[in-house]
Amino acid sequence: MAKTLRFSLLVLLSFGAFACATVRPEQRAVLADPTMRFEGEPGEQAAVEHVLENREASFGGGSVRGGGCGCN
Amino acid sequence: MQLTGGFLRVRPLLALGAASAVFASAPPVRAQVAQADLHTSAFVEPSKTSHLTVITPAANVAVQPAEFLDVHAAYTADIVSGATEAIKAGPVADVVTAATKFSDVRHQFGGGVAVTRKDTHLGVDYSYGTESDYRSQSFAVNAGTEFFQKNTQIELQYARGFDKVCTTNYAASTAPSGRTRLDSSKGCFTKTPDRASRDVDLDTLQAAWTQAWTPVFATQVVLTGALQHGFLANPYRGVVITPSGEDALENHPENRARGAFSLHGKYFIKPIAAAASAGVRLYRDTWDIFGQTYEVEFEKYVLPALRVLVHGRYYHQNGALFWSDDYTGGEPADGPRGQYWSGDRELSPLSSYLVGGRVLVAVQGTPDHRVLAVLLRLQGTAGLDILKTQLKDFTWSGKKPDDTLAGMLSLGLRGEF
Repeated sequence: MAKTLRFSLLVLLSFGAFACATVRPEQRAVLADPTMRFEGEPGEQAAVEHVLENREASFGGGSVRGGGCGCN
Repeated sequence: MQLTGGFLRVRPLLALGAASAVFASAPPVRAQVAQADLHTSAFVEPSKTSHLTVITPAANVAVQPAEFLDVHAAYTADIVSGATEAIKAGPVADVVTAATKFSDVRHQFGGGVAVTRKDTHLGVDYSYGTESDYRSQSFAVNAGTEFFQKNTQIELQYARGFDKVCTTNYAASTAPSGRTRLDSSKGCFTKTPDRASRDVDLDTLQAAWTQAWTPVFATQVVLTGALQHGFLANPYRGVVITPSGEDALENHPENRARGAFSLHGKYFIKPIAAAASAGVRLYRDTWDIFGQTYEVEFEKYVLPALRVLVHGRYYHQNGALFWSDDYTGGEPADGPRGQYWSGDRELSPLSSYLVGGRVLVAVQGTPDHRVLAVLLRLQGTAGLDILKTQLKDFTWSGKKPDDTLAGMLSLGLRGEF
């Protein structure tokens, strides 16, 4: 468990080290595309998650609002 | 309604998900001031003995009375019918039970408010669900912000659920082996003497970090933690616990701590106008279940107004520490696993495969040229998913279940005003 936590922390810190790399606002056209949204289509996503969470013991870690435009 | 254990576990996340879904669909521009979503899904699990059908209509409405304010309301129903074995026996005890039919309708109402100021938003939500044998209330708050030129987004969500489940009216001092299962929901949440209401407390905390790395590549990390306390079993399910075939109400621990970590990446392939994504989720809980999920997705523009998506998913888990296919035999293959017993196949070792797809058509208007004279945008979706589950050990009295293949059809319609 401790090894897993240390590994997860290392991965997160590695990501964090690159977090200063920026995409300029004028470069965000593709990131604003609906296909780049992590949450997908909300109604459909909720329905699939509803089924899966009743068919297995795991839950959580689902996509939340993210990606998208951010260009305003 | 005859519930699986899973139904009992997911309510706070459903509320959280519903809240997120409404927030996620909030408009990016002021020109749009209202949005209506209609969605229906049909889940069908065919079986000779224990079929299941769930129809889930849902409606969401969101309005933006001011640029910084979003007010939304939602309604979802679950119309469930089917049949299931009420008593779980393993291969050792010579007990064969017939599936019993059931049907029920769950109604869930919700609503909330979100405020956005510059790069930060804050939202609160409430939902109430009711059905013949279960009541749920949930409060949720969420907050998020963007920084590093909006390339980094952080989102925090917390939900607190106050649920009540109907059971038979056994005393706390009654030994678990002497507790009986519910045979129907008749008399639940009334003063009927042989019915009782038991609490389920649910706390769910989720944090997400979304990062844009390049103009075509982004990742999302999500951490989820949950605490559950109370009656966490299925009140209808009995489990055979003696070689002579005597059964008792399913007996699960009253506490469960759960945690999940997920990482997803999305990459847009410009030459073919398509987005490809892959993700992994790891899950662990204090019932000693470890789950792994791997998924891939590909979505392509066939026409500017037409998108097609295909996805696949593989899931694997081990069984709960106390799970056994037969509580009447001896160790190690069968027999008791401590003080608890379960007939929940979702707590047994299993793996599953899901494949599916979706077609989306969107018609975009402008404030001067609206779709159907009133809409800024009209969108329709149709999706189909097939889920196949492989149960490693679970049996009904030694026989493998035949309800392990399921299909789900979903239809959605969204109008933005």
